Amino acid sequence: MSDALLVVDNVSVAFGGVEALSGVSLEIRAGEVFCLIGPNGAGKTTLFNVISGIVRPSSGDVRFLGESILGWPSHKIASAGIARTYQIVRPFGALNVVDNVAVGALAHTHSKRSARSVAREIVDFVGLGPLARRRASTLTLTQRKRLEVARALALQPKLLLLDEVMAGLTPTEMDSMAEFIVELGKRGVGTVCGVEHVMRLVMRISHRIVVLDAGKNIAEGNPQAIVSDPRVIEAYLGAPISEAP
Amino acid sequence: MRRLVWPLAILAVIALVVAPLRLNGYYVNLIYITMVYVGLAYGWNIISGYAGYFSFGQITFFGLGAYTTGFLINYLHWYWMLAALGGGVVALAIAFPIGYVMLRLRGPFFAMGMFGMAQTVRVLITAFPATGAGAGLFLPPGSDVTAVYYWTLAVALGAIALTIWIDQSAFGLRLQALREDEQVAGTLAVNVTREKIYAFAMSALIPGLLGGGFIYYLTYIEPDAAFSSRLDLQSIVMTILGGVGTVWGPLVGGVVMTQIAEQLWAKFPQAYLMIFGGLLVALLLLLPRGIVPALRARFGTADE
Repeated sequence: MSDALLVVDNVSVAFGGVEALSGVSLEIRAGEVFCLIGPNGAGKTTLFNVISGIVRPSSGDVRFLGESILGWPSHKIASAGIARTYQIVRPFGALNVVDNVAVGALAHTHSKRSARSVAREIVDFVGLGPLARRRASTLTLTQRKRLEVARALALQPKLLLLDEVMAGLTPTEMDSMAEFIVELGKRGVGTVCGVEHVMRLVMRISHRIVVLDAGKNIAEGNPQAIVSDPRVIEAYLGAPISEAP
Repeated sequence: MRRLVWPLAILAVIALVVAPLRLNGYYVNLIYITMVYVGLAYGWNIISGYAGYFSFGQITFFGLGAYTTGFLINYLHWYWMLAALGGGVVALAIAFPIGYVMLRLRGPFFAMGMFGMAQTVRVLITAFPATGAGAGLFLPPGSDVTAVYYWTLAVALGAIALTIWIDQSAFGLRLQALREDEQVAGTLAVNVTREKIYAFAMSALIPGLLGGGFIYYLTYIEPDAAFSSRLDLQSIVMTILGGVGTVWGPLVGGVVMTQIAEQLWAKFPQAYLMIFGGLLVALLLLLPRGIVPALRARFGTADE
């Protein structure tokens, strides 16, 4: 409990009458790769929005490094060390690739010049080096996905929230993204991946998995335990015919 | 292209400093009015160009600056330049509460809200006998036109210097980020509320200082002149023509527009407005992003 990076404690979110999340709890440690899986609409993005301060939960608490971050504005949460990417990529279209990333780097410096040089390194690191001076609006989807990750990394986060970072990638690109996530974990960055499908990769890279279905935490454990859990199989494949109404 | 900018700028500043000593009153007035427009355009360009909050009411602060200056000269007998400085400071101070409230609105709602704000402040100011109400405020006769010219030149140059700084600074990058996507900028640790209020305040200080000079120049001001939507609109059009959110756009747009207007007015006094409007439409159709971005794309100094 004491070495927890992030604690999500019994969080519920209601949009009008619809409960997007009901009583979700989880805990992430430093260096851990934590995968949040669940079908479309399970509440993964809503949980990310709660953690990054965009959505305020109707009840429950979120603690980062032991301190409640409930009600903090999102820039304060980001400065504290939580970075995120967006499922639907949102580049700053009119800015070039380096400047997109430099915005995140400004969290640690007040000089645009040094923010840009940090950004340059990260841009090279994610393989966008040759496109550094391109306006972000001209990038392809894959490149935009990389830009999302690069911007988040520029914050030098302790915790990284990756929302559907695999979606839209080719199998080869997924493999390199997976290796990249594992590498971040070795450097002590806690990572939460929201993933709808691609179980092959989830099984390979995650230390622990939580399965969300209809806003509820239905299973939690290591990859082996998850695949054999009957509730997970039901959420993904449906109930066996004999039990169907 | 880039190497030419600074020598040209220095020459232009020298020419502007010498101008009142060499030119006749007509030209000095023409340059003065152009500088007021260009200064207003630079003020608008910070909040609307860099931060993306399209305002239809920055003239509020021109009016506030003018009336504050008039009040300080008439009732407290301040030296005009100090009074004009006071006008700028009052505009700056009032921009914080106005910005705090208005910047919660976005897009067309902010634009219209600021238009309403200009009208509200105009009505409020003219509600008091001390401001001459609807009839306006008269200053003691006899103003020093050359001094106002230099004051306005200094404010306009200051506005350009401020814009160059913004364009190069971390602050400017944060503004551009929140212009593109406020929520994403927030999750990248940009304090969007604070940054946009600062930008708004800068966009109020400049018209406040210009308004202070303006009332001393005219020695008289009435509500419709102080809160002139025509002045507001024209400085916005200049910026759009020159290039929104660029360092040199307001200057290029301002000079091109006043020059075209002046030449047309002299040669075709009857058809002047018609030709001017047509030219403006044609220019904006040909260069939808403005003159400066078009030049940068042509000479390859823009991002790809």
